[in-house]
Amino acid sequence: MAPDDLRALLPFMILAASPVAVILAIAFYRGHALSFIISIAGLLISFGSLFYSFRYAPRAVTPLLIIDRYSLFFTGLILLATLAVSLISFGYLENRSYRRGEYYALLLSAALGASTLVASSHFASFFLGLEILSLSLYAMVAYTRGSRFSLEAAFKYLVLASVSSAFLLFGMALIYSYAGTMELAGLALVSRAGPSVFATAGLAMMLVGIGFKLALAPFHMWTPDVYEGAPAPVSAFVATVSKGAVFALLVRYFSAFSLHDYPYLFWVLAGISILSMLIGNLLALLQNNVKRILAYSSISQLGYLLVAFLASGPQSFAAVSYYLASYFVAMLGSFGIVAVLAGPRGELVNLEDYQGLVWNRPWLAGIFTGMLLSLAGLPLTAGFIAKFYIVSAGVQAGQWALVLVLAASSVIGLFYYVRVIAAMYSKRLEAVPYGEVPVGGGIAVAVLTVALLWLGIWPSTLIGIIQRMIYGN
Amino acid sequence: MMGLLWLVPLLPFIGFIILALFGKRISNRGAAAVGCASVGLSAVISMLIAADFISFNPDGRAYSQVLWTWLQVGGFRPQIGLYLDSLSLIMVLVVSFVAFFIHLYSAAYMRGDDGYSRFFAYMNLFVGSMLTLVLADNLLLLYLGWEGVGLCSYLLIGFWYRDPANIRAAVKAFIITRVGDTSMAIGLFFLFLNLGSLNIQQLLGLASRSWPIGSGMAVAGAALLLGGALGKSAQLPLQTWLPDAMAGPTPVSALIHAATMVTAGVYLIARTHVLFELAPQVQAAVAVIGAVTLLVSAASALTQVDIKRVLAYSTISQIGYMFLALGVGAWSGAIFHFMTHAFFKALLFLAAGVIITAMGGEHDIFKMGGLRKTLPLAFWAFLAGAASLAAIPFITAGFYSKDLILWSVFSSTKGGVWLWLTGLAGAFLTALYIFRVFFVVFFGQMKAIPLRKRETLFIIPLVVLAVFSVIAGFVDLPGWMGAERFTGFISTSLPLTQTLPVGGGAEFMVDLLGAVVPLIGLLFAYLIYIRKPAFAANVVRNQAGRALNRFWLAGWGFDAAYDILLVRPFDRLSRMLRGDAIDLVYSGIAWLNRLVHLLLSGTETGRLRWYVLVLGFGGAILIGIAVLL
Repeated sequence: MAPDDLRALLPFMILAASPVAVILAIAFYRGHALSFIISIAGLLISFGSLFYSFRYAPRAVTPLLIIDRYSLFFTGLILLATLAVSLISFGYLENRSYRRGEYYALLLSAALGASTLVASSHFASFFLGLEILSLSLYAMVAYTRGSRFSLEAAFKYLVLASVSSAFLLFGMALIYSYAGTMELAGLALVSRAGPSVFATAGLAMMLVGIGFKLALAPFHMWTPDVYEGAPAPVSAFVATVSKGAVFALLVRYFSAFSLHDYPYLFWVLAGISILSMLIGNLLALLQNNVKRILAYSSISQLGYLLVAFLASGPQSFAAVSYYLASYFVAMLGSFGIVAVLAGPRGELVNLEDYQGLVWNRPWLAGIFTGMLLSLAGLPLTAGFIAKFYIVSAGVQAGQWALVLVLAASSVIGLFYYVRVIAAMYSKRLEAVPYGEVPVGGGIAVAVLTVALLWLGIWPSTLIGIIQRMIYGN
Repeated sequence: MMGLLWLVPLLPFIGFIILALFGKRISNRGAAAVGCASVGLSAVISMLIAADFISFNPDGRAYSQVLWTWLQVGGFRPQIGLYLDSLSLIMVLVVSFVAFFIHLYSAAYMRGDDGYSRFFAYMNLFVGSMLTLVLADNLLLLYLGWEGVGLCSYLLIGFWYRDPANIRAAVKAFIITRVGDTSMAIGLFFLFLNLGSLNIQQLLGLASRSWPIGSGMAVAGAALLLGGALGKSAQLPLQTWLPDAMAGPTPVSALIHAATMVTAGVYLIARTHVLFELAPQVQAAVAVIGAVTLLVSAASALTQVDIKRVLAYSTISQIGYMFLALGVGAWSGAIFHFMTHAFFKALLFLAAGVIITAMGGEHDIFKMGGLRKTLPLAFWAFLAGAASLAAIPFITAGFYSKDLILWSVFSSTKGGVWLWLTGLAGAFLTALYIFRVFFVVFFGQMKAIPLRKRETLFIIPLVVLAVFSVIAGFVDLPGWMGAERFTGFISTSLPLTQTLPVGGGAEFMVDLLGAVVPLIGLLFAYLIYIRKPAFAANVVRNQAGRALNRFWLAGWGFDAAYDILLVRPFDRLSRMLRGDAIDLVYSGIAWLNRLVHLLLSGTETGRLRWYVLVLGFGGAILIGIAVLL
């Protein structure tokens, strides 16, 4: 390993060191605030070092990882999202009497797994990253172990994720048997020779594994149960970081194979996208549990993302990146509100609990409204610009069927987003025991709101960054 | 200084945001301070910019400032940009200046109201939107401002929302202007579709290059925009909302429904004047609509007993003059009259507000009387405003602007004797109706004792606006009296009027008639309402006179006609269609969605083995399709 390799790898090494630091600190002194501060510091330093390692990009560090603008951009996104999740988690865990410190070690290693995924250039690092992420998530989902739902959710997640990992591994094996390599660069070379049954079957099986992680239909069944059972900050993490990292990886791996050589794979993906958009939105329609609504919403959002992915071309690249950023903001904000509202007695997840929220917590109600409108894709929020980019990418690629389904299902989606908003602004039924708004969570959702509006009104900043990422300078 | 242009619309928006978010926590004094300071600062900045513009830019080159590009996808590239030329500069100056003084006045007028900070929040939002409207360099941003002022108008007409009548008036204003706005939105799509740009200057250039004069495209585009202008500026046939809009607080009437928002239509036509010149038919329609409107509403103003309704009809009538001027290509005349009108009509409303406050909320002029001695400030202010509105010659601003319009109508290639005569008749009626109010309210017997309140914040705006109502006309004197400075300044952005060769003697005669006719009106008012008060009563006792009075009082029966022709048939139609096939389609879709939702919800059993089964089957199908097909 050359020194430059290490320099390029610096953000990842810092991120890997920080859970160790948390665990060591716990060994000497058990304090919630201490673990929290260490993890915040780790995330911030790691984020700062991105700009340092930027100078050495692009660089293949061992055959396993590639540090380029793309992976650094998504690592940055992951780090910021993890930062938001830890801020939200701090106040949330303060209200609960579990051992809190270890949570941050899990959170940080999950972020490490996610970052590995976006930098992966080899099946080995792919699987390694995925398992680091998943293993941390199992424990995080079950973290409030006093709750039956939490344990049940973790159990379901564990079993189903194992099944999907089996698919993934088998797919990798098939591709290896055909191509004789597990490196991305090698795979791209081999795939140019034309499709074969082994490669097709292998890709299809990998898609099952990836589809599960992204909660795309028909692999979406687990989503509502896990999101509902997991603590709200963990749901936020699963919905954003875990999915975003896997999607970024999907884009990198599948752009190595040109999808036009695999027409049926393309149609399968298109079908998955249509199913996800429709099923996600329809399932949420009359749902009364806010966390489940958000879970279904995330299914449909990933369906929208697939439309941009299928459009292919540089425009689609930009659309995917922008959409992921805006989706991160809105999802983190929404789950953040749920977490912030959670009192000592537990989370408030029923629609009735949100009835008349605006009279008790006007700011939180306003923020939640903004987040939901962004998920629905209304103008002046980030979601509008993001959806606009997706639609225009789809139109330019001539994917009319996908665009039409996107439009139709967005209308269905608007219904349930507005349903939640309408509940918040309707008359208060009875006093609901809202907790005190914790400082960390409050700051996190406030910053996310600013980001939401900033991206919606002044999108050119982020678009500029994304353009530089794609085209270089 | 020019670089600060973006602050002009932004400051009122900031004021709005502060008031909207923290309105409940800050005191009334603080709310007034925020509201006035934000508008005052933007007035100061616009004055500095004006000084810069005039002194360093003698040939009046337009200054444009692109703030940011919202998004860029293919050819669609909506930019947030500002465009400053002599036309928008005049608009910005008048809007921010008048708005500031009305804000000052409101600080005293609204004292003790529950919604004090809410009032200033709306007012600031209005000023920000109005400034956006006039500074926008593209039609999309202009439309944003256009809808923003419409929203504020709605919110402020219904400001005292506990009275259902106010809400009805607000909704009426909103719906009727919506008719015009729809036409305008279609016009925007039309122009974008056919010319491929929404940037106003680009669009006008493209239009004049690709469309010949009188072409169907130009006519359609101009007519659609005109529809928007008619709604916003309360011109025939969309004028019925403005008299009811007086339900709002008086400062609102002064700012929104007299000085600024209702002239947005005038601005829109002036801004897109190239389009209207390409469509002479539409431009002629503008002139005719203006002429008819000014006469019809002046007649209605003559019969009103509510002081604010008189002023409302007067506003419609004066905007009619501006439309008349636009229609004959007298661009500078229209903008000049906009400016003087903003001063004297705001003044009249504010003076009326003082009277109404003193009379404990009374609006009926016949329940007032002899207020000259007890309300000297209102008396002098109202006199200045009324004289200017009536265009009393030489000493008032209104004279110079109205005179310019009348002369242009007479001499323009697009004008004519008939239009001119209508304008002249309108001038007579204007003097008659406003001095009717003046004599009835301030002279004669005292009918109720006014409550006197000394309010410094009333005095400053009234005095300043009164001064401007008198002197603002001197910036543009008729040809034979001196320099046409204003016309020269405006001509950097709007073309000069195309005139027929008429002798200098004719101009003098036309001006003389224009000067004499208002005086005759004033004389008639004096004779009828001071000398022979029984005369008016006699006219009304006469059967024909009474019918005419009732007809004019009801605004020529437009409301009733719309009610019979549109509202009731629509009501009946919607009743008839209740629950029929058309609805079935939509409720069918909703029902279908609900059904699918229930079916799908059935799959979310929560059972792990079922989930694994679906995962496995899904995977199998996926692999099957990919491999076997």
